[in-house]
Amino acid sequence: MDSIVILFISGLLGLFVGMRRQPLSALVISSLGLTGAALAAYFRGQYTSPLAAYTAYIPTQSAVVILLCIVTLLAIWGGYQRYRQENEHTGDYLSLVLFSLCGAIMMAQPNDLMLFFIGLEILSIPIYVLVGIEKGSALSAEAAVKYFFTGSFASAILLFGIALLYGATGSFQLVEIQSNLAIGIWQSPMAMIGSLFLLAGFAFKIGAVPFHFWGPDVYQGASNAVLMYMSTVVKITGIYAIVNVFGQIFRDSYFYWIDLISLLIVLSMFYGYITAWKQTSFKRLIAYSSIANAGLMLFALADIHNSNIFLFVAAYAFATIPLVTINEFADQNSDDLSNWEGIAWKNPLVGAALVLALFSLAGIPPLAGFFGKFSLLWSAVPHIPYTAVLALIASVIGAFVYLRLLMLALKKPEVQVKKALSAEQTIVLLLTTISSITALYLI
Amino acid sequence: MQAASSIGTSLDFYLFVSFALFTIGAIGAMTRKNMIVLLMCIELMLNAVNLMLVTFSTYYGNGDAQIFVFFTMVVAAAEATVGLSIIIMAYRNLKSIDIDMYNQLKN
Repeated sequence: MDSIVILFISGLLGLFVGMRRQPLSALVISSLGLTGAALAAYFRGQYTSPLAAYTAYIPTQSAVVILLCIVTLLAIWGGYQRYRQENEHTGDYLSLVLFSLCGAIMMAQPNDLMLFFIGLEILSIPIYVLVGIEKGSALSAEAAVKYFFTGSFASAILLFGIALLYGATGSFQLVEIQSNLAIGIWQSPMAMIGSLFLLAGFAFKIGAVPFHFWGPDVYQGASNAVLMYMSTVVKITGIYAIVNVFGQIFRDSYFYWIDLISLLIVLSMFYGYITAWKQTSFKRLIAYSSIANAGLMLFALADIHNSNIFLFVAAYAFATIPLVTINEFADQNSDDLSNWEGIAWKNPLVGAALVLALFSLAGIPPLAGFFGKFSLLWSAVPHIPYTAVLALIASVIGAFVYLRLLMLALKKPEVQVKKALSAEQTIVLLLTTISSITALYLI
Repeated sequence: MQAASSIGTSLDFYLFVSFALFTIGAIGAMTRKNMIVLLMCIELMLNAVNLMLVTFSTYYGNGDAQIFVFFTMVVAAAEATVGLSIIIMAYRNLKSIDIDMYNQLKN
């Protein structure tokens, strides 16, 4: 609760400063707000606000809030390069990110479907605007149109699911829904269809096959800064929300769902990695990689009682952000993979960060991505062994996708051109690289 | 509980209307090409859900869902605002509001 208030106030301040065309001050205010929100979550995470009984919102696990704040902080720094030059929309961009993060924090750990839905919309609506924030670009406009219509369609589907679950059980509180379902209402078609619609809405938000179609187009049309935010925060929030909602509603009956979830996992991973293989655009490659990673994240639903997803989503975010930052470094206005040729030789830090991020995404042992994937699969194997085997096969295909990008980046150019990183980009690359390596000591 | 008994016999009717509205909205959102019509179809879906929530709320005799309906209305209004501004921005770029004209993003 405190985190949301802090984020909201700093977002408002950022709007005023942005109006006066002071991009650096807006960045400082947003960074302070994000740091304050993370600290508030750390120190007052167990604090129950006087409104908590009324709003049914109590942050039970402050680690997610802190992770979301840190990831957003890295995303706005990594994308700041562009907004320093065109200082027109800096304040709007930063404030919309902060407002959207308020919704993410509300939505990540719901215990009430009403609050969950409002959080989802507060998360989504600013992102519709953010995708189209470059008003003069036809591609940005197309991406915004596509994301808005598919996104609000999915919201309506999800809302329909919530209404049907309410009709079957008579409550929005997850605990009450669970206890009502447990006494046999679960068999009613209304509850079944309702939870199917809910699952479809969730799958859309995290971009799992067969609700992935918007992903590549929207990611390609969005700017690097927005791509960094939406490919990490939305996925982390979505997967935490789905684990919380499904984990509480179907606490004793989740095995009904496990076949369907397995199907989503296998389809997403194979489709994502195989399609990523032949992409020529970096942003589309990241989009397909994020579809495959959404499939992997769904493994958390296999063992709801002790799902261990934190390390995996953190590793995914800390590997995606440096890659997009490097894309921004390569060429601000193009996302063609030809820009990546020999990029590792232009700057030593870029080379190191790129190798570690790609190895982490591919799941090579000493890095964070490996431990995330390992802990996720380890708890899922007893429940869905065959899906886990298929996921491992898909991961091997995925490793080759990332290695292909690595080979391209490491190709030795004939003429070496050095290029300097900006200060924020340096900080982002350093922090993400260090956290990818030191993840071993955190578990 | 008096309200519950008054609607009890005709619950099916309200649910039927709400399902029908939702289906019309969903089919429209999937088949129509004009962006303004698409926006209207999505609003229709949200309003169908509102009708269903109010029906269930009366059936169960508690007010939770009626509070939810107000929030849904606010969300629908926010979505309409953002949606119309996105449509205007898109129109300035491509001079068309036909959704099929937006097909430049591909590999």
